[in-house]
Amino acid sequence: MTTRGALMLTAKDNVATLLEDVSRGSDVLARLGKETSQVRALEDITFGFKIAVADIAEGAAVIKYGETIGTASRDIKKGEMVHIHNLEGGRGRGDLMKGGSK
Amino acid sequence: MNFLGYDRPDGSAGIRNYVLVIPWGFLAAKICDLVDGTRTILTPDSGSGRTSRDRETIARTLIGLGRNPNVASVIIHTQGTGAGYPELKPTRLAEEIARSGKRVEILDAVKEGSTFRALDKGVQLAREMALEASRLRRQPFDLSHLSVGVKCGHSDTTSGIAGNPVIGSLFDRIVAAGGTAFFGETTEIIGAEHVLAKRSVDDEVVRQILEAADRIEAIAKATGEDIRTVNPVPSNIAGGISSLEEKSLGAIHKSGSAPIQGVLKYGERPEGKGLFFVDNWMSMGSIFAGYAASGAQLVIFQLGGGGLIGNDLLHTSTAAVAPLLWTTANPKTLSRAPTSVDFYSGTVIEGKDTIEEAGEKLLQLVLDIASGTVTKVETLRHTDPTQIYLRDPSF
Repeated sequence: MTTRGALMLTAKDNVATLLEDVSRGSDVLARLGKETSQVRALEDITFGFKIAVADIAEGAAVIKYGETIGTASRDIKKGEMVHIHNLEGGRGRGDLMKGGSK
Repeated sequence: MNFLGYDRPDGSAGIRNYVLVIPWGFLAAKICDLVDGTRTILTPDSGSGRTSRDRETIARTLIGLGRNPNVASVIIHTQGTGAGYPELKPTRLAEEIARSGKRVEILDAVKEGSTFRALDKGVQLAREMALEASRLRRQPFDLSHLSVGVKCGHSDTTSGIAGNPVIGSLFDRIVAAGGTAFFGETTEIIGAEHVLAKRSVDDEVVRQILEAADRIEAIAKATGEDIRTVNPVPSNIAGGISSLEEKSLGAIHKSGSAPIQGVLKYGERPEGKGLFFVDNWMSMGSIFAGYAASGAQLVIFQLGGGGLIGNDLLHTSTAAVAPLLWTTANPKTLSRAPTSVDFYSGTVIEGKDTIEEAGEKLLQLVLDIASGTVTKVETLRHTDPTQIYLRDPSF
């Protein structure tokens, strides 16, 4: 079991921010105020990066601070790292406009 | 909760006591080289070839810096390359600054006969004004006399969960005591503007905040690029931030929880006190001089730094007349730049302090600095250049 674990900011959040480096297979303590739950890390994740505390289906909202920070670009399993490889921001996306770079 | 400041004729309180020489240029640079206690704004933004809106922004910045409480008196020279435009006429700048009751002198190189004769005159004037300023003694002022401006930068995920909330706690304390606090960085409210809208004092402020975010997002989209390749900047992504929305939702925590009284232009002075959103650009080369022109005596850089590329020396103040204080909540950043970081809020992540406890400690440090203790980067006699936030094309 990890000591500092990961921080959830509201009960709506489906990701938590790691307060220490964790290695694959370790059980991470996810903290929300005084409540705690446990998530098994499915990969090595570094301090400051996010771990999914619930399964997130492709296209579903990724929630942190109780607000949408983007959508899952593929299915994300509980315990996986959530970052730019599996999360798409939705704002300021000029590449999605007509004539954009994408 | 008092600090020791310099009493100014307009009722404001300086936390520093400078003679300001503007605009930047040969005369200003040389006078500042020779005379201790002087400052200038190191910027190539002269106004030449700029639209009237941009020239007015430059004028607002120069006038605002002159009126900043940290400035005792001002020398304006006539050799600025924008001086021929009505907005930037030296007499206009002088008149507006003099409304604060400060001594303002115009140094006219043509009248003096040559640049070097003007330099001689300018040095004598600056020495006299520096000596005059040194006769002032610090005296107690309450927090209603303090204005601070903040930017968060090289943000990582420690910024949103600890660094920015601790700044927010500082802001709440200053605003509750009748002081003034500025935050901004319009790109970094995209995705979080609805949260700020709920905290605005009236519908007009709501409209202005939403409009500012919409305008920047429309410009971003028009570039045809994915904003994630621009902002969040590479160090944000390397620090764990995955989208602009995530960055914004973390960034707004630095504003605390007070109601937002108004939306200001870059360098605009607020009417009244409290918390203000400034429609500005995040670059540290630009934002701090704008806050100082709005009246901030102290500027704060809340650094994430998890993905920072560079060495241990962080930037010096670009605010011309306002000292810069560095904070971070990232223990790795602290261990890398201990000679630049003034305040560490990672104690919140370590469970040693609550956000409120760290906010109170930061307030005590701010009061010390306001009373004359220098910030770490303020010990260096170096100024990084300033880019005034101009929004129109140049011609």
